[in-house]
Amino acid sequence: MDHEIFSKAAYTGTKQFTQQDVQTANATGFGAAADDYAERGIDLNEQLIMNKPATFFFRMNSDAMVGAGINAGDILIVDRSIKAMNNKIIVAAVDGDLMVRRYLQSFNKATLSPENKKYKEVEINEFTAFQSWGVVTCVIHILDANLMAFNKNATQQKRK
Amino acid sequence: MKAIIDCNSFYCSCEKLFRPDLEHKPVVVLSNNDGCIISRSDEAKAFGVEMAGPYFKAKPLIEAHGVATFSSNYNLYGNLSWRVMETLRMLIGTDNVEVYSVDEAFLNLDKVPKQQLHETVRNIKDTVEMWTGIKVSIGVAPTKVLSKVANRLAKKNKVITNCILILDTPRKIEQALQRTEVEDIWGVGRQYAQKLRHMQIETAWQLSLKNIEWAHKHLGGVVGVRLLRELKGVESIVMEEELVNKKMIATTRMFGKPVKDIASIKEAVATYTSRAAEKLRRQYSAANIISVFVVPKEPSTTGRFRHGPSISAYTTLDNATSITNQLIKPAVKLVDSLFEEGRLYKKAGVTLSGIVPDSSIQGNLFVPEATNKSRMLMNMMDNMNFAMRDDIIKFAASGTTRNWKMQKNFHSPRYTTRWDELYEIG
Repeated sequence: MDHEIFSKAAYTGTKQFTQQDVQTANATGFGAAADDYAERGIDLNEQLIMNKPATFFFRMNSDAMVGAGINAGDILIVDRSIKAMNNKIIVAAVDGDLMVRRYLQSFNKATLSPENKKYKEVEINEFTAFQSWGVVTCVIHILDANLMAFNKNATQQKRK
Repeated sequence: MKAIIDCNSFYCSCEKLFRPDLEHKPVVVLSNNDGCIISRSDEAKAFGVEMAGPYFKAKPLIEAHGVATFSSNYNLYGNLSWRVMETLRMLIGTDNVEVYSVDEAFLNLDKVPKQQLHETVRNIKDTVEMWTGIKVSIGVAPTKVLSKVANRLAKKNKVITNCILILDTPRKIEQALQRTEVEDIWGVGRQYAQKLRHMQIETAWQLSLKNIEWAHKHLGGVVGVRLLRELKGVESIVMEEELVNKKMIATTRMFGKPVKDIASIKEAVATYTSRAAEKLRRQYSAANIISVFVVPKEPSTTGRFRHGPSISAYTTLDNATSITNQLIKPAVKLVDSLFEEGRLYKKAGVTLSGIVPDSSIQGNLFVPEATNKSRMLMNMMDNMNFAMRDDIIKFAASGTTRNWKMQKNFHSPRYTTRWDELYEIG
């Protein structure tokens, strides 16, 4: 048993809470039954981040991947602990640049494919300095930045 | 077996993570205020850029070789350090990781079967590199001191060792010790190294052949005995429990440019005191000795204070406290006693000591109600500053102009801690 933990990473994820963090209904009498069903609210960190120390955020600033549902301005959740495999959308380091592309791998070649006809495919060959930086797991598309105080600040600071 | 894992040129590696164009390129990171070089990539080392050397001296060399230069981005380094340590904790269990510094941790590998040691260590290294993007070196040996020896040799011969060295036989230990000079042993200071050299002890191997009585007499008593036993492969320095509360808390900074008005120095001291008080509260402590120092640009030739470059004074408070305003007041008063009109100052610092557990944390019967209220106010302030960042709430004494603030001319974005500084990718 002891050595089992060494062979595979034990998942701890983002579960940094105790039972004291669970809200109670704090009701008496008739409503008190609600306390029996008290549970933790939904936490996006827990749902969207599988491996916290390996997860990074990026902001998309081009339309190269619109076909995959990634628009300019979207936030990307990138997990470095997932291996780049065929058909995954990855963050790739290519000749010193970071870019988001779909990784296509067949028996004799690998390419980084945009999802917008305006952009060219990048073929990975012996002359390309290529490394997978991480795999994009989620896209966060904020509909109206003005609704969100933090994003508003961010955009205002950008303009300056 | 014990291991020490150490991030290679940690600050430079952090900067390189989001800059693949800098892979295999020379990089340096400068200290606070861009004063000294505090981290160099291997490529920069190869050009002869020196560690801890002043930046202005190395500047011609740096420019001639196109070395990428960064101001220190501690938000980024701190976050990546946490990621490295968290990865280790997930891999081998929290209890087996002792964080030793921002970029080093001791690992307890006692439970790993001997035949799996190589595979396990390689797996740790590969996983940390994959998950965090930070390259590491690992030294493994029966004791902490020997693991340090192994780590140093692993790093020195990266090509051959691939940054891993395991000393699992007496023969390997002997070879490693013979290749280690006395001053390169963990825990041997410059003075002891000199002393040992006078006694014709040049290598760690020669030292390890001495006996315990000798160490007691010539190597600083108990500490020396422990060191010697560790060198002989007998565990004597145990894995330490984490989260040891600090017995002294200091906040010290260089000013962005020399300052000569007392108001600016007071602002700076108030700001440093706030920061120190925050650290104090984070470990649930209170302090009753507060000491302030200032460093003039040119050392004094006349006047009261002539001992060294820094001038300091302290006061003792009646009651230990962690309430910022109760600490700011005496701290600022100390500035009055230190300040001399007409002189330029380049640095100031605040140290809190006399640290005890904070009795005002939870409503205490013996603590006046006012103190409990202040404590609640502090909690509120800390939470807001932690959530909203950039000291959104601060005491007026810390000032608003802050023209003494540090210079950071080559600062990279805080990619991992700020929503508005995320890497923009195409």
